[in-house]
Amino acid sequence: MAGLGLALLNSLDIGLLLFIIAVGLNIIFGVLNVINFAHGALYMLGAYMAFALMAGLGLPFWLTLLVAPLVVAAVAILVDRSMLRFVYQREVSDSLLLTFALLLILNEAVRLIWGTGIHVIDPPVPLRGAIDLPGGLSYPRYSVFVLLVGACTLVGLWLLFNRTRLGKIMRAAALDREMAQVLCINTRLVITGAFAFGAWLAALGGAVAAPMRAIDPGMGDKIIIESFIVVVIGGLGSFPGALLGAIILGLIHGLGGRYLPDANLVLPYIGMALVLLFKPHGLMGARKSA
Amino acid sequence: MKTPSRSVLLAVAMATAFAAGSAQAADPIRIGGIYLMSGSAASYGEFAKQGASLAIDEINAQGGVLGRPLAIQIEDSQGKAATAIQVARKMVYQDKVDLMMGLDSSGVAQGLVPVLPELGKPFMITHAATPDVTGKLCNKYTFRLSVNVNQNMMGAADIAADTGAVKWTTIGPDYAFGHQSWEFFSKYLKEKKPDAVLMEDQLAFPKFGAEDFTPFINSVMESKPDGILISLWGGDLVNFVRQANDRGFFKQGFKVLMSVGAATEVLTALGEQMPEDVWLGTRYWYGSWDNPVNAKFVDAYKKAWNQPPSYNAEGAYMAVYSFKNAIEKAGSVEPDQIIAALSGLTVPAPTGDLTFRAGDHQALIGPTWGLTGAMNAADKIRSLTQLHNFEGASVTPPVDPECKL
Amino acid sequence: MNLSLRLFFALAALVLLYALPALAPFFYIFIGTQILILGLFAASFNLVFGYTGMLSFGHAAFYGMGAYATAMLLQSLQWPLLACLLVSFVAGLVLALIIGFFCVRLDEVYFAMLTLAFGMMVFGVAHQWRSVTNGSDGISGFSVGSLGLGLDLTLGNPAVYYRVVLVIVVLAGLALHRICNSSFGLILRAIRQNPERVAFCGLNIRLYRLAAFTIAGGFAGLAGGLMAPFLRIASPELAHWSTSAEPVLMTILGGSGYFLGPFLGAGLFVLLETWITSLTQSWMLFLGIILALMVMFFRRGVLGTVLDAIQARQRRRQP
Repeated sequence: MAGLGLALLNSLDIGLLLFIIAVGLNIIFGVLNVINFAHGALYMLGAYMAFALMAGLGLPFWLTLLVAPLVVAAVAILVDRSMLRFVYQREVSDSLLLTFALLLILNEAVRLIWGTGIHVIDPPVPLRGAIDLPGGLSYPRYSVFVLLVGACTLVGLWLLFNRTRLGKIMRAAALDREMAQVLCINTRLVITGAFAFGAWLAALGGAVAAPMRAIDPGMGDKIIIESFIVVVIGGLGSFPGALLGAIILGLIHGLGGRYLPDANLVLPYIGMALVLLFKPHGLMGARKSA
Repeated sequence: MKTPSRSVLLAVAMATAFAAGSAQAADPIRIGGIYLMSGSAASYGEFAKQGASLAIDEINAQGGVLGRPLAIQIEDSQGKAATAIQVARKMVYQDKVDLMMGLDSSGVAQGLVPVLPELGKPFMITHAATPDVTGKLCNKYTFRLSVNVNQNMMGAADIAADTGAVKWTTIGPDYAFGHQSWEFFSKYLKEKKPDAVLMEDQLAFPKFGAEDFTPFINSVMESKPDGILISLWGGDLVNFVRQANDRGFFKQGFKVLMSVGAATEVLTALGEQMPEDVWLGTRYWYGSWDNPVNAKFVDAYKKAWNQPPSYNAEGAYMAVYSFKNAIEKAGSVEPDQIIAALSGLTVPAPTGDLTFRAGDHQALIGPTWGLTGAMNAADKIRSLTQLHNFEGASVTPPVDPECKL
Repeated sequence: MNLSLRLFFALAALVLLYALPALAPFFYIFIGTQILILGLFAASFNLVFGYTGMLSFGHAAFYGMGAYATAMLLQSLQWPLLACLLVSFVAGLVLALIIGFFCVRLDEVYFAMLTLAFGMMVFGVAHQWRSVTNGSDGISGFSVGSLGLGLDLTLGNPAVYYRVVLVIVVLAGLALHRICNSSFGLILRAIRQNPERVAFCGLNIRLYRLAAFTIAGGFAGLAGGLMAPFLRIASPELAHWSTSAEPVLMTILGGSGYFLGPFLGAGLFVLLETWITSLTQSWMLFLGIILALMVMFFRRGVLGTVLDAIQARQRRRQP
């Protein structure tokens, strides 16, 4: 029973981190109609930024968590203004291709700047070590922190989209760009802002994950497939869908890795295929109006 | 249309003559290296490159080999056999290398070694440990100076038997190296300690390059073994140790053996996070050999790169020197003559004298195992105590009957 | 360009290609073989992408399937190569039929993601099913014996293998060309441009899409079957999404609007890769930049942009 409990906690951990990243992907698709293949690379960039700020400049962890995603968001704005604006009006496959090109460029750039080796940063002192749980188990403090960050992001995003004007503008632009323009919403700004915000979320995920995982140039590739699966299971463009999808994928990893290790590579894809068979637009996705 | 083609032919002829002429001026002996230069184990390739270039600089400073300088080019195998094969073809046919060395991955070695006879150049393996390349896949072009799984696991089984732990399990990467490590470890452990219990149903083989080891950590902890063989390496081992630390893995009282844990690549990345009282294995430990060759090597390496040499660096360093000795003994760079010279050759090395067994071209070398102790302040990594240098001849099984050179 | 001139150039090109081993340095035989096989792979992808308008990011599943089929047959049964290739073609066909059945119901973005998922599923199976596929170490150590049909050729000789590949790829290419330029191909192109219109004409577009996807899978399997003996190993990476991305890149590079675009793209891609990797380790960076520029400014690919310019000039001459 203790094993199950640990596996579930693990699932929640993995799930919430994936949620932060997948929501960014959803926002970018929702508002820009762009599938951001480079989303994993932005996550990786967030992790490397955290490393550069903490290990290189010696910034404290809390400040790094603030600054690193902002830096990546700035990079995203640059990318949007210089590359993405050419493919907004074109068919979706073009944006997929362009963001794929961006992925290649970012991957190599990271390798050139920080080398090909593994980098490591430690959690700040108050978050090190483990908490003792009933049943003789211990759970790392930092993982609990990740749970908290995920929960706060969840609440914060919900409030943003449902209670603020900015959130409503983003949703409007996502639903019908021309109409939004007619209503004098500055769609240019909203688009760039959405992309930057999505990137910010991915980088936040990266910065939060950095003390838990080894930082290496391959980390982006792994996370992008995961985020795609989350978003497809949950439904493209759906916020609660992203949460549902992330939790499901977290459960697949946590429970599957524990009880079915021989199939743990294939399970997420089977899950994804199953969902799409019965609900082609994801569990909570809706068909976008033309 | 005759005039253009004639002048084209003339131009080509002139270019070839020019190229041939300039080549004769300082024609180096070319070595091609294939290592992991990307991905989570990229530092292994980087360190091998450092070791090799140290050897080349030293040799060239003393006049080179047979009056010719050595030159090396190192390319990335990306951990894929298909890539390594393409790279090897390019090196042999386009870049015209005379010798080759490398391979960090047993999987890559298993794919590349059968292709070597077509390429016709001697290949020195300095890291990949699968016994197959000097066993059922052996061919006359393949040599290995590094410890293979057989030799390492013989040493590991010895250490394991001494710890007194009874129930054993393993966590290893899900490819040849991980599986074969357990296969040979369990076989030798049973021989040395017949009452050992092998928990065959609870083995863990995460995918090589997996980021998240927590499910495997949890399941191993739950199965409550007495001892664990960990054959993870590179970025995997770094990730694993950090995640395991968080879960109190190393405080459960298991006897832990990390078969290739004493790699400076890993120890530097982990620093204090590598726990104490863990047995680490390696093919070369810079602090366990007291001879002039080692002293000179460690000194020169530290001076050049400000860190102690890893086993991958030492392997690459010795590959270059082994080639040098073989070429000088043969008096030529012809592949067949180098192979004849290298087979059975003994070369002075930081680990003592290195002999390439004629029957399968495997070097008779044993692993070094040690228990982690306090931090070595000067080198900024854990020190190793209770060092066991296993003697090559005693841990190397006889030539595999499937290998007929 | 009139037909007989086109035919003349095609024949001249084929003769040159056949004579390549005698004309170029030995290493280029390997380059040539690679270009031919990848060109076929990319052309099969373009049937789905350029002609039918579906962007698949899992095309390597069929390619990998074909490679494993041939490798396993060569390793355990030592069948003649042609027999193995036939099996690879059929294996690719069948797998594409199964996967396509699930995927063609969806449009655009979902299609891309689902093909990606299935592609990675094939990768996962190849990676973890150690007892059958030997896991990440792949199937290797097999030798290529005879070709079949009673022809006695030393396939182990790179030049001989290159010519065999050339003949097979040309024949496969002709077959594919026939399909693309038939009425079936026309309907596919119509589906790409305006699916609703075609549906209103009473045609079952899902069936046509599935047919295109399946045929493409067969030819991809054939390409994979040719690649396994060349690489001397069939490993899970052949089904990974990064391998699926290669025909995508090559098609964009060459031009998705013309039949020969993917072949040209394959040639450019392999030559660029060989050239750039000898200068720097950062080949991926240049690939990314080139792809970005192509997508942003030269969407029709090299062939497309060049031919478009020529056609535009011809149109200007005729008032």
